[in-house]
Amino acid sequence: MLSFEEYKALAFEAATKKGCSAAEVYFTDGEQFSANVLGGQLDEYSVEHSFGLNLRVQFDGKDGYAYTEVLDDPEALVERAVDNARSSESPDVHPMQGKCEYEKVAPPETKVIKMSPAEKIAYAAELEKQFLASDPRAKRAQYSAIQTAKNTVRLHNTLGLEADTTRESAFAILGTILEQDGVLRDAFVVKEGDELLDKDAMIKEGIEKTVEQFGASPVPSGEYRVMIRNEAMASMLAAFSSMFSADSAQKGLSLLAGMEGKAIAAECVTLMDDPFYAENPRAFDAEGVPSVTKKVIENGVLTTLLHNLKTAAKAGVASTSNAGRSASGPVGVSPSNFFIKKGEASYEEMIKKLENGLIITDVSGLHAGLNPVSGDFSLIAKGLLVKDGEIVRSVDQITVAGNFITMMKAVTAVGADLKFGMPMGARVGSPSVIVEKLMVSGS
Amino acid sequence: MIKQSIAEAVLNEALKTGGDYSELFMQDSEFNTIQTVNGHVEQASYQRKAGAGVRVLKGTRCAYAYTADTSDEAIMETARAAAAAIDGVAEFETKSFEYRKGGAPYERRFGTVTNDERVALLREGSEAAKAYSDEITQVVGRYLDADHRIMVCNSNGIWAEDRRPRTRIFIQSVAMKDGVAQTGAASPGRGMGFEFYRGVDMKELGRKASKQAVTMLHAPECPAGAVPVVIESGFGGVILHEACVHGLEATSVGRGNSVFCGKLGQRIASPIVNAVDDGTLPGEWGSIAYDDEGTPSQRNLLIENGILKTYLVDLLGSRRMDGHPLTGSSRREDYTYAPTSRMTNTFFADGKDDPEEMIRTMGEGLFAAKMGGGSVNPLTGEFNFAVSEGYWVRDGKIISPVRGATLIGMGADVLMKIDRIGSGIVLEPGMCGSLSGSVPTNVGQPRIRVSEMTVGGKGGKL
Repeated sequence: MLSFEEYKALAFEAATKKGCSAAEVYFTDGEQFSANVLGGQLDEYSVEHSFGLNLRVQFDGKDGYAYTEVLDDPEALVERAVDNARSSESPDVHPMQGKCEYEKVAPPETKVIKMSPAEKIAYAAELEKQFLASDPRAKRAQYSAIQTAKNTVRLHNTLGLEADTTRESAFAILGTILEQDGVLRDAFVVKEGDELLDKDAMIKEGIEKTVEQFGASPVPSGEYRVMIRNEAMASMLAAFSSMFSADSAQKGLSLLAGMEGKAIAAECVTLMDDPFYAENPRAFDAEGVPSVTKKVIENGVLTTLLHNLKTAAKAGVASTSNAGRSASGPVGVSPSNFFIKKGEASYEEMIKKLENGLIITDVSGLHAGLNPVSGDFSLIAKGLLVKDGEIVRSVDQITVAGNFITMMKAVTAVGADLKFGMPMGARVGSPSVIVEKLMVSGS
Repeated sequence: MIKQSIAEAVLNEALKTGGDYSELFMQDSEFNTIQTVNGHVEQASYQRKAGAGVRVLKGTRCAYAYTADTSDEAIMETARAAAAAIDGVAEFETKSFEYRKGGAPYERRFGTVTNDERVALLREGSEAAKAYSDEITQVVGRYLDADHRIMVCNSNGIWAEDRRPRTRIFIQSVAMKDGVAQTGAASPGRGMGFEFYRGVDMKELGRKASKQAVTMLHAPECPAGAVPVVIESGFGGVILHEACVHGLEATSVGRGNSVFCGKLGQRIASPIVNAVDDGTLPGEWGSIAYDDEGTPSQRNLLIENGILKTYLVDLLGSRRMDGHPLTGSSRREDYTYAPTSRMTNTFFADGKDDPEEMIRTMGEGLFAAKMGGGSVNPLTGEFNFAVSEGYWVRDGKIISPVRGATLIGMGADVLMKIDRIGSGIVLEPGMCGSLSGSVPTNVGQPRIRVSEMTVGGKGGKL
């Protein structure tokens, strides 16, 4: 086995010899620890070490990729990548980022990373114990887990680019199950960094999210004034985020193609893509372009789609620093920290504003009941019925349906309770929003 | 992939802190993918993923460690990392190995296939899709082949090797008009070599995807409410997958987190329902010769005449479930996951009902001709799935295509409401996500009818 440096040098040499005009390696190296305590004992425990090298070559003006987790034969990998470049018929030029200077960014420090494995296990055990003691209805936990990770990315190419970054992170997950009158309901709470040290807050949130589901029944089918609560809205925005990708637009897979400068949402909606967002800052994107903060929607008007170097070259604009890629995949487009800018009304004030209608607290099945090409969605949902500004009961076994663009135009208020969804790759967040009407199907 | 003597040393190292079971899983996989837009290659890529995972059990405690570094030293270190979670002294040693070797049909190896051959398939499908109608604005094609070589050995003395070739092709058509876009897709896949495509009519596939997109473009929105639903053969079997069988997996049953807990031998479905999970079907998308603990794959009769006969159980699940027999269901996406109970090829068995009569006598309701994916919460049984091609039925006659429908309900409830099952099982591939990652599974069924389900949508009027 070769080291990264040895492999890289041999791969670049082989690529040049083969006639490639440029070559790039995207090397990921990650270590992860996780522990889950259930029933007072260590239930799951894992220690992980992963790495892989993604090679991209430019041959005859085309890109070709090949990925390996076995660093043994650089020439064979170059051969594969060149073969793939030869197969490509894309007329688009995909420029490669050259040598570059970056702003220094520092993610928030967290004590959790310095905890020993034994301390992490003790944390998870304590979290479960405190949860079970906190409410007589607490039946059991489905998760009481902590996870820490250290991930390094090294992006180097023959144009002199050497962009390295290491990111440490820590998360805790509490999965609650509560029982009331023989009915079981569950919820999940995920916290990152030092926030997870406040166990009481995590448990309180988990219990609130579970208890509000008891006594639920459907509402009659019809059109309702709806408040989509922060987490539900964040997961919908994440699922529709590919509509904002210039790559999707250029491939004819987004209704937002050519809509720059036009109103696509209500005036109260401003949508940010901010790579420097303090909770999760990054200096450059997945192809080494320096980060840029932008308003994707400003007061309802679409100002830009999200670009990488390829889509930007095709559109004749500058990259918006939104190149994204998995460890093993090709360069695509991805948001960074992508969120609807918060307004001023608290959650409680938003309920008063809603006056009469439904709060949608949770939506599921987004991979199936939602189509980012058409913008249509029809999703199973849970919620709360609101009358005269007060929550009167819980609602389940309903679907909410609509079209994303139509919905964004029908937003009448944006709350102050900005919250980010599950941290998977890009981070997508939203405050609660009130939508004038959505179709609800129930009893 | 590894010498027997080293593997044995690794398994013993993993048992040094008092574990009662240790397991080494190794994988070396190669993937080729191609993406086309309107028949032109946008991207071609190759991936090789290889690594090793060591699992140690002590009772129901589970420790897992993995590494992408497959050198002997790194694997030994990984065994130590897993063993560190257990705090005792060695009590067990590895038994001598009994060898098992399996593999799917693999006549035409992916290593002998050129990109030109792969592209030719996508091009043929895409051209037919584009030619179907002027309203088709975009056709995306995707091709995937994967050659998984896996080895699993454990301290109980099992050494199993399996080779799992898989390939799938995907044509998606987009129809657009006046700012409205609808999609249609077709995506067959099998657990076999490139010879699969000899039996695939790519033109037909392309036309199927486009027909769906164009039909849905002109379809009114689906009415909402609780009505009878006829679900067509094929991917319709996703109802069984989501509404029921996720709730039969030891992952949820073993922890008491399923509505089907404690229901063995009891009625959980209407008496006409028979359901099977069968990982032995040769060359099918969800098939495996051995599961990821080395247990031979088998045919599991899940529901017989409405009565629950078995759960789907892996080793850890069995320990949590009073020694429930293993069902050959332990699976994982790759070495980065510890295995757990999963489905393989899951379907409603044939019934005796007339497929035409089901619609004729349903009154007003929905005919779901093609289903999309779905999801379920096994704790509560609340499930949902999308209808990608639907038709509205009134007075027993199809009156119009409808779009945007979603079906929701409670698992325990919907199985009781199945009042017709036809014959002619069709299996269709999907990817199923759960604790041990994303694994290929088939869903399937003949045409069935559910007496009442909640249909969600934008609430169109017909």
